[in-house]
Amino acid sequence: MHIPIEWYLVLSALLFIIGATGVLVRRNLFIVLFSVELMMNAVNLNLVGFSRLHENLIGQNFVLFTMTVAAAEAAVGLAILTALFRNRKTLMVDTFDLMKG
Amino acid sequence: MAEKILFIVFAALAVIGALGVITRSNVVHGLLLLVFTFLNVAGIFLLTQAYFLAVIQVLVYAGAILVLFAFVVMFLNLREFQQLEQLHPKQKWAVLVLAPLMLAEFIFVVTGVTYASVGGGLSPEVIAERGGNVQVMGETLFGEMLLPFEIASLILLVGMVGAILLAHKEGGTENQLRAWGTGDGQPTSAFVEQEV
Repeated sequence: MHIPIEWYLVLSALLFIIGATGVLVRRNLFIVLFSVELMMNAVNLNLVGFSRLHENLIGQNFVLFTMTVAAAEAAVGLAILTALFRNRKTLMVDTFDLMKG
Repeated sequence: MAEKILFIVFAALAVIGALGVITRSNVVHGLLLLVFTFLNVAGIFLLTQAYFLAVIQVLVYAGAILVLFAFVVMFLNLREFQQLEQLHPKQKWAVLVLAPLMLAEFIFVVTGVTYASVGGGLSPEVIAERGGNVQVMGETLFGEMLLPFEIASLILLVGMVGAILLAHKEGGTENQLRAWGTGDGQPTSAFVEQEV
């Protein structure tokens, strides 16, 4: 029996919204980065589900590239985080308001 | 039938883990719950017959990327942040309204569309005939996806150089150990000098 594609999409939407909520609500920069990873995983689920539906492996290959980008993003994000922490001694994102954003 | 039950179990556990990630105030707990979520997503990949991706999800995502996070969490002294306010004071009310609204919109759109399969492609039977998931995926990856594959290696190179450049401490204190978050290290970047 095949799992319906809608299930993948609903689960992916749930994970994505949870990740987006984390990015918008939490003040700790670490949790914000975790939430970004969650959102990437939601997208991966979508790609794999559609890859199975259309019987085409390009979707699964794209997940590999998403993981590559996630690895690079984690490395650069953590480097920025350590540099920020060294200079400001805090990780709460709303304290970084030098550009009045 | 068993597949569907397993999917629901994995999905429920993944959502519970994800909710835990954004509600815990302890970063280490959040990180472990994130690993838990990713393992459940790997289980869903297995159910979808994406075997290679399930292994990569465990090895690379949960095993390497999140361990990198864990290392940085251990380097920094984060205990003092747990007592602080964890949520944005105003934004949380807006998100409380907007997030369920957006979720309802997603689910409305997603369930309102009928998805027709192209079919006739690489079904699990065809993949098994041609040598398995890894074999067929490798043929696609080094065939029509060769250019994106090479660009991905470039992204990793740029990420590596960028990480080294950003995390490198300017101002050369060669014989001194780095003071990670104990508060006694003098900030040495141009950023602080601007403020003075």
